[in-house]
This record gives sequence, C-alpha cells and structure tokens, in this order.
Amino acid sequence: MNLDFSNDEKEFRKSIRQWMKENVPDDIRRCTARGAMPDKNMQQRWERLLGSQGWLTSTWPEQFGGPGWSATQRYIFDQERASAGAPPTSPFGVAMVGPVLYTFGSEAQKERWLPGIQRGETLWCQGYSEPNAGSDLASLKTRATRNGDHYLVNGQKIWTTQAHWADMMFCLVRTDSTVKQQQGISFLLIDMKTPGLEVRPIYSIDGHHHLNEVYFTDVKVPVENLVGQEGMGWTIAKFLLTHERTTIAGVADIHYEINRLKSAIDALPTETDKQLAVRRLAGLEVDLMALEYTNFRTVAATDEGKPFGPESSGLKIKGTELQQRVSQAMVEIGGLMSLPWDNEEPIGEQIFNQASRRYNFLRACTIYGGSNEIQKNVLAKMLLGL
Amino acid sequence: MDFKLPENTTMIADTARRYLKDNYSFDTYIAQLNESNHLEANRWQAMNDLGWFGLPFAESVGGYGGSLLDVCAIVQELGAALCLDPFVDLIVSPGKLLEFANTPTSLALLDRIIAGEARVACGLYDRHAGYHVLNPSLRLNGERLSGQKHVVSDGGVADAVLVSAMSGDELVIVALPFDACDVERYRLLDGSRAASLTLDDVLITDEMVLCRGDAAKQAVSAWFDYLCALDCARMYGACREVYQATLEYARTRKQFGRTIGSFQVIQHYLVDAFIDLQQLESMLLMVSVKGESANVGERGRATAAAKAYYANRAVGITQQGIQIHGGVGVTEELNIGHYFRLVTHASLSHGDREHHMSRFIQAGEKQNEVV
Repeated sequence: MNLDFSNDEKEFRKSIRQWMKENVPDDIRRCTARGAMPDKNMQQRWERLLGSQGWLTSTWPEQFGGPGWSATQRYIFDQERASAGAPPTSPFGVAMVGPVLYTFGSEAQKERWLPGIQRGETLWCQGYSEPNAGSDLASLKTRATRNGDHYLVNGQKIWTTQAHWADMMFCLVRTDSTVKQQQGISFLLIDMKTPGLEVRPIYSIDGHHHLNEVYFTDVKVPVENLVGQEGMGWTIAKFLLTHERTTIAGVADIHYEINRLKSAIDALPTETDKQLAVRRLAGLEVDLMALEYTNFRTVAATDEGKPFGPESSGLKIKGTELQQRVSQAMVEIGGLMSLPWDNEEPIGEQIFNQASRRYNFLRACTIYGGSNEIQKNVLAKMLLGL
Repeated sequence: MDFKLPENTTMIADTARRYLKDNYSFDTYIAQLNESNHLEANRWQAMNDLGWFGLPFAESVGGYGGSLLDVCAIVQELGAALCLDPFVDLIVSPGKLLEFANTPTSLALLDRIIAGEARVACGLYDRHAGYHVLNPSLRLNGERLSGQKHVVSDGGVADAVLVSAMSGDELVIVALPFDACDVERYRLLDGSRAASLTLDDVLITDEMVLCRGDAAKQAVSAWFDYLCALDCARMYGACREVYQATLEYARTRKQFGRTIGSFQVIQHYLVDAFIDLQQLESMLLMVSVKGESANVGERGRATAAAKAYYANRAVGITQQGIQIHGGVGVTEELNIGHYFRLVTHASLSHGDREHHMSRFIQAGEKQNEVV
C-alpha cells in the first residue's frame, strides 16, 4: 500500500504544470474559467498544440505514436490539464477510432488515418445512434450495400456530436439483414464531404449547437474504408466499451468545477447562504474523494497490467452523476445570479453567468456513451450474473 | 500508487476470517446478544493466542508493531461476522489511547492490556459534549472529579475506565476504577454492552492522571481518528456480507414465476450497491493508511471524509439490503437486520455524518491557510 506518487511522478507533474502554465492559450483558459465551451477554433488549436508535443494520443501504445506514458502519468497529465483550465480533448478520433484502427485496421488504413489523429488535424465524429436505435443500438437500420468497389450508404444517424465540425465519421451500418442483428453490422469510415451526405443541426437545451442529424442518400464509400471484415462492427463497438477508461470519471474536471464554485462563495448575500453553500460543497467533495480513490485504484491496476474490465462502468456512472450534481449546485447556489441567459456582463459573480447553460448541457452526460441505465444492465449481466 | 495489501495484512485477514468462520456463527452471535457479559473466556484466549492483543501497538511499547491497515483487516472480519467479542472496546480502544498518551503510567497499564490481564474501557463521551471529545463535560476541580460519562463501551465487564475531563481549560485523561462511579449498564444498538458512569466528587490522586494539556489533546485526537478508521472497517465488513447475501437472495428468490434478480429494478439496485461497495472499499483503503498519518491535518481530513461517506453509503447499502429481502429483512431471525443495526451504530459512534462534515470543512479551511 502506498498512496503517494513517486518522485519521478512528482517531477513529471512539475514539468507538465510548467508547460501548461506557459502554453495554454489565454483565450481558452478564460473560456473554461467562465464555464463556457470552446468553439471549433479553440478546440482545434488546443488539440494541435498537444499533437505537436506528441501528447494528444497519450493513451496510444508507443509503436503507434503514443508517448509511452504509464496510466499514472496520463492521470497526472489530465489533472494538470484540467487545473490549468484547458478543455478535455474530443474523444472521437483519439479515444475511439484511433484504437479501433490500430487494433482492427489494415496497414493501409493505419498509415492513412492515424497521423491525422495524432497531430489533431483530422476531426472525427461518431455515427452510432439512430432515431430508432438509441439504447438499443443493435437495431440500427442505416444500410450499406456493396456495389463493386464501393458501398452505397442510405439511412439516418442522430445525436452526432460535432458532425458539423468533422472531416470524417466512423459509422456503424447494416451490411446484412439476413443474420442475427449484431452479426450484420459493419464499421465504415465515411468522408463528411461525400455527395449525398447532409448534416442538419440540433440545438440542445444549453442553447448551443453540438448535436446533429446526419442523412445519407446513396453516399458512396470506397470498400477500402471498411474496418475489419463485414459483420465485425458490433465486436469493434464492444471493444471500445472496455478500452482505456482511466479518465472516464472526469475527476480532474470535477475538481476544477468545485474549485470554481468555491471561489465564488464569498459573493453570496448572507452568512447563512455561505454556510449552506460550504456544507453542500463539502458533501460533493467527499463523494469526489470516494470516486477519485476508486479511480486511483483503476490507474494503479492498469499500470500493473491488470486493467479493470466492466467494473470501470461504475466510474462512468458515478462520475456523470457527480458532474450533474456539481453543475446543479452551481446554479442553485448562484440563485438569482444564475438566471441571466445571454448577457455579456454578469449581474454577480462571473461563474454563475454561464452556470445554467452548463447545467443544461450536462443533463446529457448520463445519456451519452451508453445511458447509465444501459451501463447498469451490462454490469448486472457481466459482473453480477443476473 | 499501490493499492495491494501487504502480504502480512492479507495473512492477518485470512486468519481472522477462518477463525471467525470456525468459531463465531450467527447462532453464536444471537446467544451472545442475550448475555450481559460479552467476554467469553475461550474465544478471548484464542484471540490472545492469535496475537491480536499485541498487534495494534508499536514494538517499542511491547506490541507487535501492526499497522492500522492490519487492525482494520481484523475489524472488517469482526464486522462481517457480527462478532460482539469486545476486542476493540477492551484492547484496541483503551490500548491506543494509552499508547498515544505515552507516559510511564499509561504504558505500564498498556502492558497489562497486551498481556490480557486488564479490563479497561474508554469513557470519552458524554451526552453534553456529544462528539466533541476535546471538550468533555466531566470536571476535575482540584482533586475531585464530577460529572457523567455515557456510552462507555466495555463488553459489560470492565473494572477500570480511562475518562477525559476538563481541569480548568486543560484536557486531562484519568484512569479510575469502575467502582468509584455509579454505574448503569445497558445494551447498545449493535448489541454490544456499555455503561453510563456518574461521578460525584471522586477523589483523584496525581498518579491517576495519565496526561494533561496538549499531550492529552494530541492523544485523544489521534485516538479519535484511529477509531473512526476502525468504524469504517467494521461497516465495510458488514456491507460486504449484506451485498453478497442480497445478491444471492435475488438469484434464488422467486416471485411471479421467476427470480427477482431477473427484474431490472432489482438489478439496478444491486449494481448501485456493487458500485457503492467498490467506492466504500476505496475509502477504507484510503483511511486505513491516512488514519494514522503523522500529518495531523491530513489525518483528520481523511477520517472525516471516510466517516461522512460511510454514514451515507454504507447505511444505504444495508437499508437497500432489507428492502430487497422484503418482509424477512425486518425480522430478528435473519442476519440482514442485524447488519443494518451494526452499520447504523458504527455510523453514529465516533462522530455522525454532520459532525464529520463539519470536521471536513474545518480541515479544508486549515489546508487553505497553509497554502
């Protein structure tokens, strides 16, 4: 038992902290401190900056261009990234399609797509959900029909985050409707500029445009964009569920949010308001500590070569619940100050000015990536044997 | 970081689990529940033979140099077995206070505890001061000690007690015989035995005062944190059993022609319990190390967080265990309700949730001051 970081890890932290201090662009830092979301330009500048250091793909094995960090180093990096006020990186390229490609892709596919992800140049989106295939993903209907050297894709995807920013989509499509649902699904890479592909915005309750519908009408996708074999799509999708989840709980960003909220308590009107806010924050901090130590255990286990399997779903469930509770606390503690929606100048503390947008945005986090209820179904089956 | 238990701790835990499995069944517990004397000679000797009496104490004071982690491993198994043998009340609790007091008189008494020759309890609480152990209501005026002590956990058999009192503004720890007090004995929520002591101008000689002032404060504060960690270990052991039993029940109990574990709502309750148990285990590992940290601020913050978290989630697991068991869960004949009482008890001893939330907040403020 040892709950301390090693001296090497402390040195690593110091060097990352220094780098963050010197390199996180001011406009991005200010944006995060306000509680706002980075726009495409900020997000991409930040990811390219990390890419230029070789840090964007920190979870990748060295042979595919990862920096060779341990899980503990990645965890420390994430802590320093969040406390420096820099946003998390977009998961679609780095955490999803990248690992799929270096695990299941052909040499040609790796050569073609991995460098763009590493450098933060190619933006990806995820074509999974459909209007009638949300939690029941395997029932998806978007069809890909083989036609010589290409597929013709027809159908519709929905809830596609950042489709309007993306250069490429990785997409689950049905290539065979005569076999068991799960066996007829394939994994395709689709260029977002292909004729017949149309992106329509969905505005979410935070007032912003993150989500989209994507329509496919006879979209031609070259056969070389099939990853693995036809019918392997479901296996690949499941692989992603257990791949590197040591930062899935969002502990570092929750710390940042709690600290932001702490800094605003002095602005509350009365002593009682302050005391109640302090008490509420302490409750959140205690719960965060339990989550964080569980997270440390998964990190330590990963470094020992025994990564957690489905147990890490617990981190996702507790982490997203806590993110929501912190965002709700921020709105409720802000009270009146949380009501203005689109004013430039806050009527009180700056942090409460965007708090309600963030609160609205985070209602999605217990839904995306497999709703918490679906995660619990999976855990009940895989771990509890029910 | 490394969360693997040292080999020695694993051995201690395995031994404790085996010993209790062979010697302490649910029936043993029920029988003991009805006794007013909780010191059963054979098992007491067996614990002594296992080396538990010396384990919690440093080698320099005659112990075997076990860590808090080691003691937590035993206490976790005692919780899992619902064991009422007063190992914590008569060995660990008074022994650690005496070790922390670290005076010649206190260490001489500790020797007798380690040897299994003394029946000493700790009387650090009273209803007037509540959980504020650094400000007890007992008063030492000159040579005379007066006031009350409540919930003095003693297995029903202690003949001496270590009490805390204020002598002016100074905290003192005094050792005195039970028969110097008016004693009322009773059972507690978890089935253990305790006493209320009323002291009416009891004559205190100098050699009965073990320590005073800052030394007494430091000793009581270290004792409090240590006992908080043990509360968590005990609750964890109980929760672990409740979770396993409830999962097993859901797999086998049939209603509407199918096992209740096939219903989604029950599955989700059990997954919640699984995740909570995982986090409780994390908090236990954390507090088992930090609960005896030399850094007093870190130590207090850790025990406050752990106890506050346990008072919420450990209690929650046992409540849900009763709910999933249905009617049988609220009966005396099933162990689930007994675990619920044990966990509720441990969540209220050595500080309840709100007390620890306050401590956690204060520890945070101090932390900020340092920065």
